[in-house]
Amino acid sequence: MVIRWIVALVAFLIVVFVGIAGFGNFETGVDPDNFFDAEGANSFALIGAIALVVAFVAYAATEYAQTRAFTSISSQFDTRTIVLMPIAIAINIILGATVANALKIPVYLDSIGTILVGALAGPIPGALTGLLSNLLWTYVLPPPFQNGPAAAFAIVAAIIGLLAGFVGRMGWLRPRPNRPIGQLGVGAVLSVGVIGAMAWLAYLGWTSPAFSGEVNFNVEGSDAIFTVLGWLVMLLVAGTIVGLLAVLFIRRDLTAAYVVVAGLGTGIIAALISAPISANVFSGVTGGGTDFLVAALRQAGADIGAATLGQGLISDPIDKITTFFVVYLILSAMARRTKARFPQGERLIDANEPSADEEGEWRGASA
Amino acid sequence: MAGRERLTNPPLMNRGVPKIVGRPGPTAYHRLNPLTKATLATITAVAAVVLGGLVGPVVLVLVAVIGPATVAGVLLRLIRTALLLSLPIAISAFLVNLFFFPGGEQVLLRIGPITATAEGLAFALEILARIVAISGAVTLFYLTTPPADLVVDLERRGVSPRIGFVANASVQTVPAMVERAMQITAAQRARGLDTEGSLWRRVRGIVPIVGPVILGSIAEVEERTMALEARGFARPGRRTLLWSPPDSVFQSALRWGLLVALLALIVARVTGVWA
Amino acid sequence: MTLTLQAVGYRYAGADQPSLLEIDLELRDGEVVGVAGASEAGKTTLCLVASGLAPRTVGGRIRGTILLDGENVDAWPMHRLSGRIAMGFQNPSTQLSQVTGTVFEEVAFGPMNFGLPHDDVVARTWQALHTLRIDDLAERNPQRLSGGQQQLVAMAGLLALRPSHLVLDEPTAQLDPAGTRLVADAIAALAADGASILVAEQKTDLLAEVAIRMVVLAEGRVVLQGPAADVLDDARLIELGVSAPSAVRLRRAAEAAGIDPERLRD
Repeated sequence: MVIRWIVALVAFLIVVFVGIAGFGNFETGVDPDNFFDAEGANSFALIGAIALVVAFVAYAATEYAQTRAFTSISSQFDTRTIVLMPIAIAINIILGATVANALKIPVYLDSIGTILVGALAGPIPGALTGLLSNLLWTYVLPPPFQNGPAAAFAIVAAIIGLLAGFVGRMGWLRPRPNRPIGQLGVGAVLSVGVIGAMAWLAYLGWTSPAFSGEVNFNVEGSDAIFTVLGWLVMLLVAGTIVGLLAVLFIRRDLTAAYVVVAGLGTGIIAALISAPISANVFSGVTGGGTDFLVAALRQAGADIGAATLGQGLISDPIDKITTFFVVYLILSAMARRTKARFPQGERLIDANEPSADEEGEWRGASA
Repeated sequence: MAGRERLTNPPLMNRGVPKIVGRPGPTAYHRLNPLTKATLATITAVAAVVLGGLVGPVVLVLVAVIGPATVAGVLLRLIRTALLLSLPIAISAFLVNLFFFPGGEQVLLRIGPITATAEGLAFALEILARIVAISGAVTLFYLTTPPADLVVDLERRGVSPRIGFVANASVQTVPAMVERAMQITAAQRARGLDTEGSLWRRVRGIVPIVGPVILGSIAEVEERTMALEARGFARPGRRTLLWSPPDSVFQSALRWGLLVALLALIVARVTGVWA
Repeated sequence: MTLTLQAVGYRYAGADQPSLLEIDLELRDGEVVGVAGASEAGKTTLCLVASGLAPRTVGGRIRGTILLDGENVDAWPMHRLSGRIAMGFQNPSTQLSQVTGTVFEEVAFGPMNFGLPHDDVVARTWQALHTLRIDDLAERNPQRLSGGQQQLVAMAGLLALRPSHLVLDEPTAQLDPAGTRLVADAIAALAADGASILVAEQKTDLLAEVAIRMVVLAEGRVVLQGPAADVLDDARLIELGVSAPSAVRLRRAAEAAGIDPERLRD
């Protein structure tokens, strides 16, 4: 058990060191014609993400070498999780394709299923759901669902699922109803603060110099579509804020604040990992609503690396906060006893509710 | 029985597995092992990115996409599907890079505040070649390989049957869920809900459709779980396979060879031996 | 082979009240036992407990003893039990595995899970299809069949496991009249072949046709039991939320109208 974790850690460190020694520096000078000098390839986040995958493979290989089985991993894959995963993948792909192709708004909404599985079943099923979603999206599904760029972002989707698994495991998505008003106030200040800061950043990006004065998201003089899109994002943010505040004050549920923090953290990490992929593989353009943001940033004079990172840092936290919020609503709509049977389900249930299972001659499944 | 390998002796009963199960594809390219075709598609896509520039991806498209697609007799369908697939991103990529390329000096065209430069055009063409290579490679795989064949092949190689189950079930769930959404859309529209028109109306229209579809599907998880466990799904150990796609030493060598070549290419670019 | 439930009670996880109490039931070889009762009376729960899915897959708590041929199955994992007692559900589409492109593969799914030899899987699959007279559907896509046909495919998938007992929970509840006819005929044919079946049904016409014995549930307890003909003719059936089969109602109507029911047979 300990050996597996040590092997995983060593593998992680080796990949990080090799990665940094090989490509890594903090230079932000970008030459878009030269693949390996681009800022993106030097991203520590991408190196870290690859290292994480290698570490997982090392962990699994060690466990297999020791026991000829993957028990600690496979225990997160009960039949219920296996049945949920295809549904989650379908939700990801259908919503993601709808948002990218039809709505043209600069968010993705393609990780609701991933985060749902991560929360209910654990980090590994969450990661696998993200990975498979993006691979199937590119390789297997027929048009109009097929999405060429998705497979390149499979690693990002996997990391999102992994993070959602940890969020679920820490019990962050457990309902916390009927909390005292003081706690709710702190939660409200935190949530509104974070979302407000996001909105302010986006606004700042739109109107004034940012990114150490290099980038100017100047909306004046450019197409009116940016204004429409800006409004749409604002609407989405406003909807999420209203929803979160409703959860906070009508249900007096403090979990809304946890949702915001989880979404923010996941969003920033996702942006850091996906920006270099987006910049190097697709020059920042993936055919969805986020393209307009990249275009606006580039027109303002940002290079590809800065433009994709800027787009990611605006889109991803908003996207992930919204997604975590939707997942929390789905979890709330699920029956308590349905939730409880998933591998991590016990951590999504309010601990204060009494359990009716007394012992005695009544017994559970013995297997 | 050509193109299909029995896993054990011929069946005792006079009727074996129906011929439609694992029926071999119409051309030699179709009949390649699914893993070989998947490897070709992935390596083509990755190589297009690693090579960069204009010539590399164009040669890749000719050799690894157009050529095999002609052999497989799917060239026209490939062009149609790949266009459908890559058109939105291709147009976006082309326009964004053409008009918003920073530091371009040779101005070709000026529309209001935005300018198209020669440098932007050159870069946009490179990105376009890359996108065509990626979407062409992926579409070729999709057009010549039933997803279930790849899953069976991976399971035979020892990949967990549960991962195979998730992959296969996802492929069937997406259209099933869309069908369900269509039914709900029709019902909502009958009740006067607006799902066309302005952006805001579309955004507002999508919510009452998405909710029931998602929650309805999740509500079925319990029954599906029971039905599967009642059929021995949770039993540990290997499953029986009805058939599996044939493989050959040559194809195995080809896959490894291509992989090594790709790694060599990446190393050459990183170390600057070949740029 | 005999499936025996002795003083069995069951409570869902998180529920305040047990859903089943003091159930004594025996399902002997070649016998079809019908289960009737109002909705929420415990029919589905009884099926889940008899098939072993509750508590193994469903969770919750159980008491009492379940014996298979005298052997206590308490410690058996689900996959061991599922080769012996097979369970079918109401909804045809959720019973399909959603990973197969043909009916043949769908029916073979269970035996494949058990890792049986290839030829054995093929032989069992053809036999199961043949038993339900759906050989001709073998190459069809299961997703594109009617509800009744899907239900038959699901049942064939269970038969291919060669279970000693079959538990069916309202197999015709979600079917149209044509589908109901199809499935009812299949169950009658299986019963005539000597299969051991526990079948819960709202439609007592089906039970009148196939059941040898019957139990009627109310609030999780057995309130009526005995030979099917007697139970279905019991006057208390209406109060228990179960409508009498049409043959019984016709006879009663004839009696009320002063017509000799024997003459109706001609």
